[in-house]
Amino acid sequence: MAMVQPKSVKYRVWTTHLFMWGFLALIMFPVMMVIAISFRTGNFAVGEIIPSHPTLDHWKLALGLSITNPDGSITPPPFPVLLWLWNSIKIAGITALMIVTLSTTSAYAFARLRFRGKDPILQGMLIFQMFPAVLALVAIYALFNKIGDYIPWLGLNTHGGLILAYMGGIALHVWTIKGYFQTIDPSLEEAASIDGATPWQAFRLILLPLSVPILAVVFILAFISTITEVPVASILLQDVHSLTLAVGAQQYLYPQNYLWGDFAAAAVLSGLPITVVFLLAQHWLVGGLTAGGVKG
Amino acid sequence: MAEVTLKNIRKNYDPAVNKDILRNINLSISEGEFVVFVGPSGCGKSTLLRMIAGLEDITSGELTIGGRYMNDVPPAVRNVGMVFQSYALYPHLTVYENMAFGLKLKKMNKKNIHQRVMHAADILGLELLLDRKPKALSGGQRQRVAIGRCVVQQPKVFLFDEPLSNLDAALRVKMRIEITKWHKKLQTTIIYVTHDQVEAMTLADKIAVLSPLKADAESNLEQFGSPLDLYHNPDNKFVAGFIGSPKMNFLKVELAKVGEQECVVRLSSGEAVRAQVDARRGTVGDEVELGIRPEHLVPLDPPYAHSKVSGVVQVAEHLGAESFVYMDVGGHDFTVKASSDIDVATGETFSVGIPAEACYLFDAKGYAFPRTAKYIRT
Repeated sequence: MAMVQPKSVKYRVWTTHLFMWGFLALIMFPVMMVIAISFRTGNFAVGEIIPSHPTLDHWKLALGLSITNPDGSITPPPFPVLLWLWNSIKIAGITALMIVTLSTTSAYAFARLRFRGKDPILQGMLIFQMFPAVLALVAIYALFNKIGDYIPWLGLNTHGGLILAYMGGIALHVWTIKGYFQTIDPSLEEAASIDGATPWQAFRLILLPLSVPILAVVFILAFISTITEVPVASILLQDVHSLTLAVGAQQYLYPQNYLWGDFAAAAVLSGLPITVVFLLAQHWLVGGLTAGGVKG
Repeated sequence: MAEVTLKNIRKNYDPAVNKDILRNINLSISEGEFVVFVGPSGCGKSTLLRMIAGLEDITSGELTIGGRYMNDVPPAVRNVGMVFQSYALYPHLTVYENMAFGLKLKKMNKKNIHQRVMHAADILGLELLLDRKPKALSGGQRQRVAIGRCVVQQPKVFLFDEPLSNLDAALRVKMRIEITKWHKKLQTTIIYVTHDQVEAMTLADKIAVLSPLKADAESNLEQFGSPLDLYHNPDNKFVAGFIGSPKMNFLKVELAKVGEQECVVRLSSGEAVRAQVDARRGTVGDEVELGIRPEHLVPLDPPYAHSKVSGVVQVAEHLGAESFVYMDVGGHDFTVKASSDIDVATGETFSVGIPAEACYLFDAKGYAFPRTAKYIRT
């Protein structure tokens, strides 16, 4: 970039950097605070950023280890945090996979096939999705209560039921993927069909490999929104052992006793899977996959 | 290799609107023939090609390839190969994989696939590019890969949908010659769609001229014949105007005398023009249209025994090898192809001779009267 710049540009670059650092600090501060609290002795919300008496007690409890108090008494871990973490990862992973599968195939139908009522369905999906799931909590509860009578593993207090509930929220993902499909020249699939491919083969061998970046995005979004979801999970799951971390972490906070330190350790732990998934998925977030296929 | 026949083909995208795109298309394409569909944009030529490929359904009529009824056969089974205007290469596959894709789907063994791909690469000069992805290729190379992907399938019929329209002028000329060579080598039936009449004239064994369908028209297949046939004996004014560059000149005239070998027409200026056309179908006094190609007009000096036409010069273009004079004849545009040393100025009155044997004559409905000139070769 050898573009000629005006003299004031240096000053403006500094200002911009200053603003960015300030903004970054604003975002990072709460995170630092949570980490600090998780290492601070006692269960207090306020205190020093760098603990003067750091302790691993909260982390030990979070990781399921008992701690021995100075007076010799033993505090067992109050909640199965690691199990909750596993529940969260399991539910979010399966949900995200199924959401990607379901929304990819329906997006294909909306992007490529001609059928009656396509536009009303598309718009209807978007509009219904705008009502927050919280509005339907009662209905969801009643529904799964009833489903459980017939299919026990999809009923209340089951992970299957929760995953099924989450799968209702694919409208936005369908729109996202459909938009991406529409940027891919349909003549690629036509060429494949002349080459002898069935519609399914054209979809799997041509369209899907070209859509990997958007599928990765949808997977990440679905994973994050599932792992941080509280309202639906909190009414569908009741058993302590089946809770997700997002729901379970709140058990540390009750009016008689706010266990901020233990809560903070669990909270930091819950950020872990999201980070890992994001780092893994980044590999697939590559641009320019469709370059060169069409036109000269 | 196979012959292709189209019988009363009709296409209508939306039956509710009842607006046909194509109507009454009857074509019979012999084995090994190179046929070009040509016409202005919107005439349905690409649609017709896609119907042959199986990418569009046929509203009514009958399509056979190699004698087999094909209307309801999916594209994969029709045994046709198609080169798309956009090339439609698979961007995530290498050149080799692009060409091998269809063969792999057919579960052919690896050795045979390799043999076929290498053979096609050899014909098309792609040996050094086999490991590249399409994005690392130039326009002409992508074009050749697209053709290669067809060649390896050994289809009965090749379909080309405006394959050269994305290339620059020089490359287009080169590819045109290459395609002719490949056709000679492969001896396959080829159906080729273009809007460029020069491409049509140079490539085709036979040309089908299509026009945008008018609501009351019987069909929008204007004529099907060899390039020279279309040039010398157009069935109607549309074909006459479409084939040839620059376009044929048309003048509104009155039929003054008819005969077996020759007729006389009168220009609006009163000038009488002899034309070697059998206009006995018409009657004296009829409003008809005289057609004359810019390249057939001759200079008047030294005095010639030709009829003449005069007009006011609007623009003269000097191309070096030749010159085009655009003039206004009684309110009609009129183009003359002249030698490069012609010396005319804007606003000048300019006269050229009309050789009787070079005249075309069309009745009020646009249908041509038969020409009688001896030199016409088809």
